[in-house]
Amino acid sequence: MIGTLVANDIKLFFRHRFFAIVTAIGVVFYLVIYFLLPNQVDESLGMAFFIEDREIPLYQSLVDEPGDYTIFDSEAEMLTALEETGDFFVGLSLPADLTAAAARGETVELNAYYAPGVPAEAKQIFHDVLVLVANTVNPETLADLARFNDTPVVLGNDMTGAPLSMRDRIAPLLLMMIVVIEVFGLATLLNRDVDNGTARALVTGPLRLHQFFVGKALMGMVLAFGQVLILSAVMGVLGTAPLLLLATLLLGSFLMVGLGFFIAAISKDNASVMGWTIVFIIPMVFPGFSILLPGLATGWMELIPSYYFVDSLHRIINFGAGWADVAGNLTLLLLVGAGSMAVGTAAIMRKF
Amino acid sequence: MLSVENLSYTYPGGTEAVRGIDFSIEEGEIFGFLGPSGAGKSTTQKVLIRLLRGFRGSITVLGKPLDEWDDSYYEQVGVAFELPNHYQKLTARENLSLFRTLYSRETRDPAELLEMVGLEDDADTRISQFSKGMQMRLNFVRALIHMPDLLFLDEPTTGLDPVNGQKIKDILRQQKAEGRTIFLTTHDMTVADQICDRVAFIVDGEITLIDSPRNLRLQHGRRRVRVEYHHDGTSAPTQQAEFPLDGLGDSDEFLKILRSNRIETIHTQEATLEDIFIQTTGRSLT
Repeated sequence: MIGTLVANDIKLFFRHRFFAIVTAIGVVFYLVIYFLLPNQVDESLGMAFFIEDREIPLYQSLVDEPGDYTIFDSEAEMLTALEETGDFFVGLSLPADLTAAAARGETVELNAYYAPGVPAEAKQIFHDVLVLVANTVNPETLADLARFNDTPVVLGNDMTGAPLSMRDRIAPLLLMMIVVIEVFGLATLLNRDVDNGTARALVTGPLRLHQFFVGKALMGMVLAFGQVLILSAVMGVLGTAPLLLLATLLLGSFLMVGLGFFIAAISKDNASVMGWTIVFIIPMVFPGFSILLPGLATGWMELIPSYYFVDSLHRIINFGAGWADVAGNLTLLLLVGAGSMAVGTAAIMRKF
Repeated sequence: MLSVENLSYTYPGGTEAVRGIDFSIEEGEIFGFLGPSGAGKSTTQKVLIRLLRGFRGSITVLGKPLDEWDDSYYEQVGVAFELPNHYQKLTARENLSLFRTLYSRETRDPAELLEMVGLEDDADTRISQFSKGMQMRLNFVRALIHMPDLLFLDEPTTGLDPVNGQKIKDILRQQKAEGRTIFLTTHDMTVADQICDRVAFIVDGEITLIDSPRNLRLQHGRRRVRVEYHHDGTSAPTQQAEFPLDGLGDSDEFLKILRSNRIETIHTQEATLEDIFIQTTGRSLT
């Protein structure tokens, strides 16, 4: 009986032109975005130099040892490249008398030219490095540049040499977007069933109330989980830890189904379903963007239930996390999903 | 078939919608439950179809207390609501087929049901393109799909044109002939008068009267005959006269009018159900 209801609901879902189009286009669109993004990271910060006198010993290492920089024959060429190519973030013009002036203890004027759009933080970092280097120059030898040792300690995942590409970063966000959008579909169908009286017609037949709700929950899960499964398979992320990833996707879908129930319960008609969905969807996607743009992440994001979904996906897909690593997240997803479904169900039952 | 004793129902907000009503319905009977809006008709029906729980009193349906019935209850009863409630994106045939698959007992072919109410040509049309009358007819036959023993019908003829209204009444008589029991909630006294074996008047949650329409008419009507006649060959307006029904054949005046005038109408002065309702409850049905 529940199977009949689920099949009927899926048929109804795809007969709503809006849902059918959004679902089909959504999956394709997200995949296109995913594959258009680079899957490698270019971490190099290109620097440009114009060295007035390449024979000066201090500059010899720059000239002799190739690095992530380019030495130009004239200052004008350097500035043009800096402004127009986008390959360099800073350019330094090193005058011939720099070392001599430094040795005489005179103030050295040095222009650092930045490419358009270089953030203030990067400018400040480069300035600090430059001051540090200048101050470590031994006027006697003009060669001994480093008088200290440092031991790098990385807190958390050391991403040195294995940076996350944009594609890796966007994968959890896209998977979450798919299930979040299904919230709208589920809430709409559920609301219509109650509003149009079809739910009442069903439960005054042999279908029981709990079967009605189980059917709706399963329909939501099939739609949301089905789509993320397709998306994950095409993205090629399923191979990471298939069972764990499937469990996470399932619990994420469950969370969103619970949210769909809740939205249906508090909505009066289709317009209010739309309104409430927007209210809930916007904060739900925040955690996904915080992975895409890590600077956005703040502590309060952990109050948003979808954080635990997207964080789990991120850790499984991008850092090879295991069951123990995300068990807490998954438990929270289960509890919040069950809680919102229970509240939603109780509220909907009052409408019968 | 159905017995209700001292039934009361109070909504969670405190509104007492039904106040200690009693009635029983025999097998194969069409029982009309009549009353104005807000009288308690729908609440009673919702209790009987188990949409509302927590009632007081006792209800026995099909030989078993209502609260002892399990899910098989809905295999035995058919329900049609006042407002059509169909899946608008499905066709008429798909709607009936969906409900058909939910029942475990023998069911009717949707095509046969659609033909019964003249919707056979629209079987594969989506409900969103149906008129209200078409949706009402579909609503009605959906309740018959599993050939239930007991039917709960709420205003089954509302919104129908006279031809289709008559068709529904004919089907109801046919259902009765096949032994089905029908609980009909309505405020249409004409429908109740035409097809109900007995009717109950409910006002403010209380039943004020239960009897057959015929008995009610006889009890509450006047035993008189009214004659409307016209003097032949004159342009005088139509005249009328009333005579006691008892001893009518011995009334010389009545016989004289019949012999010497052109009779336009002769009617016994029976009360309509609506008249009786107003007379006994002091309320109108609308």
